Amino acid sequence: MNRQMIEKLLLSRQNLNSGLGLAMPTTKGEEEGGCGVVGFCCTEPVAARHIHEPSKQMHNRGNGKGGGIAALGFVPEQLGVSRDVLDNYYMVHVAFLDTGVRAELERKYITPYFDMASSRQLETLDDWTSIPALEAKPPDVWCYFVRVKPQILDAFITKNGFSLLSRDEAEDEFLSQQSIKLNQEFYASLGDKKAFVMSYGKNIMILKVVGYAEAITEYYKIDDLRAHIWIAHQRFPTKGRVWHPGGAHPFGAMNTALVHNGDFANYHSVSEYLAQRHIYPQFLTDTEVAVQLFDLLDRTYHYPLEYIIESLAPTSELDFDRLPKEKQRIYRAIQATQIHSSPDGPWFFIIARNLPEEKKFQLMGITDTAMLRPQVFAFNDGEVQVGLICSEKQAIDATLLSMSREDSRICPIADRYWNARGGSHTDGGSFIFNLEKNAAGKMRLTCADKFGVPVQLPAGTEVSSLSEEIKMAHSDNNNIENSIRQLFDAGSHIVYEYMLNSLPAWSFSEVSLACETIRSLAKDPDKTATAIEVLTWLNDRRYASGTKKRKHILQIVREALHQLFDGLPGLAESTASAYRLIGYASRELLREPLNGETTLVIDTKGFSPEGNDCDATLLMDAYFKGWRRFISFNCAGQRFTGCGLGPETHDVTIDVYDSSGDYLASGIDGLTVTVHGNAQDQLGQIIKAGKLVIHGDTGQTFLYGAKGGSIYVMGNAAGRPLINSVGKPRVVINGTCLDFLAESFMAGDVFNGGGFVILNGVAFDDEGRLVPLREPYPGSNLFSLASGGALYIRDPGNRVVKQQLNGGQFMPLTGEDWDIILPYLQENERLFGIKVDDLLTVDGTKRTPAEVYRKIAPTQLAALSSKKVEPEKQSALVADE
Amino acid sequence: MADSLVQENKPKQILPENTINTLVPQVEVPRVIKTAPPRYRNEIAKYIIRRSSECTLCGKCAQVCPYGVHVLKPGYKNFAAPRQHVCIGPSCQQTGHYCVDLCPQKALKMVENPMLKCLGDYRWTPDMLLATWKMAETGAPPLPEYGYDYHTGASGGGFDRLRFKFPDKPEVELTEDEIDTSIELNHRDDGRPQIKIDVPWYGGGMSFGSVSNITQLSKARAATAFNTFTCTGEGGYMERMRPYDEHVITQVATGLFGVREETIQRVRIVEFKYAQGAKPGLGGHLLADKVTPTVAKMRETVTGISLFSPFPFHSVYSIEDHKKHMDWIKHVNRRALISTKVSTPADVDMVAVGSYSAGTHIVHLDGGYGGTGAAPDIAKKNIAMPIEYAIVKVHRFLEQEGIRDKVTLICSGGLRTSHDIAKAIALGADGVVIGTAELVALGCLRCARCESGRGCPRGIATTDPELSEMVNLDWGTQRIINLYSAWRKELVDILIRFGIRSVREFRGRTDLLTHLDYTNDVEHHQ
Repeated sequence: MNRQMIEKLLLSRQNLNSGLGLAMPTTKGEEEGGCGVVGFCCTEPVAARHIHEPSKQMHNRGNGKGGGIAALGFVPEQLGVSRDVLDNYYMVHVAFLDTGVRAELERKYITPYFDMASSRQLETLDDWTSIPALEAKPPDVWCYFVRVKPQILDAFITKNGFSLLSRDEAEDEFLSQQSIKLNQEFYASLGDKKAFVMSYGKNIMILKVVGYAEAITEYYKIDDLRAHIWIAHQRFPTKGRVWHPGGAHPFGAMNTALVHNGDFANYHSVSEYLAQRHIYPQFLTDTEVAVQLFDLLDRTYHYPLEYIIESLAPTSELDFDRLPKEKQRIYRAIQATQIHSSPDGPWFFIIARNLPEEKKFQLMGITDTAMLRPQVFAFNDGEVQVGLICSEKQAIDATLLSMSREDSRICPIADRYWNARGGSHTDGGSFIFNLEKNAAGKMRLTCADKFGVPVQLPAGTEVSSLSEEIKMAHSDNNNIENSIRQLFDAGSHIVYEYMLNSLPAWSFSEVSLACETIRSLAKDPDKTATAIEVLTWLNDRRYASGTKKRKHILQIVREALHQLFDGLPGLAESTASAYRLIGYASRELLREPLNGETTLVIDTKGFSPEGNDCDATLLMDAYFKGWRRFISFNCAGQRFTGCGLGPETHDVTIDVYDSSGDYLASGIDGLTVTVHGNAQDQLGQIIKAGKLVIHGDTGQTFLYGAKGGSIYVMGNAAGRPLINSVGKPRVVINGTCLDFLAESFMAGDVFNGGGFVILNGVAFDDEGRLVPLREPYPGSNLFSLASGGALYIRDPGNRVVKQQLNGGQFMPLTGEDWDIILPYLQENERLFGIKVDDLLTVDGTKRTPAEVYRKIAPTQLAALSSKKVEPEKQSALVADE
Repeated sequence: MADSLVQENKPKQILPENTINTLVPQVEVPRVIKTAPPRYRNEIAKYIIRRSSECTLCGKCAQVCPYGVHVLKPGYKNFAAPRQHVCIGPSCQQTGHYCVDLCPQKALKMVENPMLKCLGDYRWTPDMLLATWKMAETGAPPLPEYGYDYHTGASGGGFDRLRFKFPDKPEVELTEDEIDTSIELNHRDDGRPQIKIDVPWYGGGMSFGSVSNITQLSKARAATAFNTFTCTGEGGYMERMRPYDEHVITQVATGLFGVREETIQRVRIVEFKYAQGAKPGLGGHLLADKVTPTVAKMRETVTGISLFSPFPFHSVYSIEDHKKHMDWIKHVNRRALISTKVSTPADVDMVAVGSYSAGTHIVHLDGGYGGTGAAPDIAKKNIAMPIEYAIVKVHRFLEQEGIRDKVTLICSGGLRTSHDIAKAIALGADGVVIGTAELVALGCLRCARCESGRGCPRGIATTDPELSEMVNLDWGTQRIINLYSAWRKELVDILIRFGIRSVREFRGRTDLLTHLDYTNDVEHHQ
């Protein structure tokens, strides 16, 4: 866009504002904490009710004082308009808090200016109080499909000198300004708010309420309304009394809707930057400011998306140095220009937008440079593709499950789950799902990072519907059944080996038959344990599966596991079994373990994620009654599993299946917790002793303040793992971390019982083979300000450089070091099948440990140490610890 | 409601058995006042007496002085150095037993102690230090004869510009026995136990590391005697503290040093420390000198290396994170009340309401006037909102939001005297947390060398074992008990003068205060 046009646009906004008397805010209207955000897009239009599950799952991230949803890409028939109207008319949603002003508002702002294709009020339930998730009566919402009258638009273009703008761009700007004017008169200028525009773009709708997000679809009776993209937001405003949803997310600008989790530390600075460009907030929240900023950079300055992302989350430190020179030049200019508008503090945006000219929809997530808010992305490939972005992984799982129940073409397990690394040279801290028609006219989804690098998805045959596949190709392969039955007594290892060898060649129906056989064998009390073990291995381990996709194998295995657990006897039953099943409905039956009963199996469905009614509390009570072994399954983000049992718990084991929640295994002091899958945020805070095993990735601030224990992670840990760790934690992370690994690590002397982290920097390929990551550790900060312990990093290519260390130094790996870490690598091998030999093999050649592993030990930082520390005199007064 | 009215805490019903098994018998400390004389032979006094060579050792001075300033020990040739700190100074002239006048040889001379010129600071004036020492010694407000001007300091701001508007005569005549100084700490009605403390204050968090273990224990024992609390700070939970578990608040702060499930389960209140008013946004730091082998062992760190607690919690960047964090601790300890300690940013009112909605029982505002010598000067008093403004702002906002009676508002940061405490309550706090005053009771000089391991000349804020031995535990306990007793008397006196029956009724009575900056009122002096 040329400079002259930008100036014209800004000038027209200045003229607009001088008439309205908008002013730069000095403070936010209300403080905002974090929230729960979710977004998904699908090649098929998805019914609104699927936003229910993730929204409910994240209730505890909001407080019911603000919820909102946005949808893009509708089915025209459902809205009672033609395809042409849906694609080309603006879809204006006005919220009436005072229904009496509608005639006046339409007379003043709509009828004289617009040609209207359709107008209707969104239907509602008669009684809003029948929905417990609502805290106040939602506004009446009218939806108008409009185009600006040609003569009005001509006059607008002439008046503002917009001749160089395309007519569409000028019309967009008219809509934007009209909405500002309307909001000023009926909302911002008033003490008692009367009405405001929620959205005014094309093929986009925003609705918000004072209550939880899922109440919206119920109240406005749009459970069956279908759209390609949905985003939702649970809000936690800190102000107690809220009577209207003006401040709730999403906020819209033109064809964009944005939800935000976090809080700007520099709201004032960003507002001032915008005010200098004649853009003023009317709802006084940082989310509104965020969408205004995005709109300015996009629609006025026409920054490419990559540069918009750079403006919001600048690339810094070593990541900047690692950018190509040409990019550095451009980014430096962007950073210099946008320094005052770049939102500071913790934030994570989910943005959905319609690009009508490109006939494309986008859903993206952008994290701040320091990655202070949690975020998970997922891609589910197939005939129907789904892309998802959430605050918590469990919300992704809940969404996919909900969608798969309706459409069997959607697998409840995604092909990939991953985190973005904020402000990085690797992915830029952002991923964008693009939804557009392919050459054949079919909607297809792709996903790429900030730099346009596509997300790699596992290869393998696409199954249109797994259940159909299993049914259709049903074979009575007696061989499989017989083999498994015969092998069963030989032990779980043997069965597992058999399965591994057979899996690549088997069809889905044969895999299903095998799992079914194992499940039915579990009915024999003597075989239950073996059956659970085999299925658990199949769930946890990575292996070759031929052309079959891993997610489909997992779907079969997990179904078998669930059926197995569901079939176990309850506490009231007299069936002989070492296992006893307890669920929400039967929780009152909890009692001491009777003779021969060893394991309490908790179906966590229905338990609340925290508080007196959560499954972690039940587990605690069961422990006090004498139970020592636990299996928790059907988890959907329930928190604090394993917490609260106190000291001396070495005889306790807990196995957690499905979507475990935050703070799992925090504070454990002896027990063993195993997570059979990916884990969430804040795991293992202040662990004192015991063992934590994660068969997957884990989230933010893993092992914060940990003091001991042995911890094994099959995959990656997200940002800020092991900060402020002391004592003697011994940790193996087989993947990598986003950044700030082991900052302020203070875990003593490794040769004298201190702690360490082994970072292997490896991953599995689709065939279950171990492959090194491009870099074992991509972050800028490693072992910063550490004063104790050590880090052992598998880095045969010397990819980690001194600039990443601030307080650490590379040291040669000695035999003594290897003797200390080897037992942990051997245990790692036993747990995950990651062979020590494979770790020592580089490009097909086995090397010595010193050639493969590098040790990082603390340096004596002058800033941290005293001049001289003398041995302390023993004294009677010294506490006897 | 019935549950929350339970006055007694019954850990057996709520705590895990293996934790119960680790609980140790609780020790009671009697609440009795006993004289606890200064530790040093020549305690600092406001006035000093010089004896010239004219003295004939006639013994007249010792005979007339009712306070025992002059001591001629049997068998000694000369008078011992006078016990000046018990001398009431020039006001003695009116008494008829003024030794200077009565000395036949005119050998005695009374002068103001020149040391006062370099003692204390604007916030803790020499008079305030002397008066606090006196209270810690005697257990009563200092006699008026001493002429200490100690109810306010000389800072020219904060509580020093606030005065009470005492009526000439109270509307209701009340006696000491009718005054109730207790406050309740759980207003949530959430089934967790009620905790009532006998005085509207408790001791602030000072870790083992920042202060010696004797200092910590003295605080804990005094808190036990007064049925109130003390706080471990962030640095682990000393085994020796365990007989006082019922009166200990343990802190979960950003460094998570020494925090274990077991320590969380021992106590009745857990405090989240988000920030310190003296150094908001700077986290905590214990400099290398103080990290002795014992401190390092307790925190499981490396000897001689500075320890930093980050700012903020790496796991809490928003209100829903705070809720989750709190839910975790509530899960681990099902009987504990939660306190959220924050500093006073401009939006402190929103922070308070947010903390309430996230589930806290106590909102603890820490203002900028406090802090020991370890807080950097650049930070002290220079960041965040003055506490006297923050209290009112939060109190009123909580009222507006209709939740004032569902949360306990505690404030701290530079509360030095019973008058400061009363002012804070009148501004809207339910109670207060005190810090430095307890150290002063133990003999702190405000020399501001706390950050240095061997810098504390009084052996209070030190981790050096030899220096720590300068304080004796029984003496330390008694000094703090005495200070508390004197404060309680003064607080009761204030309430009697206003004719108000309880500190709870006194809360938010800003109408009883005047601020010298905003009124033309003549100074209503105490």
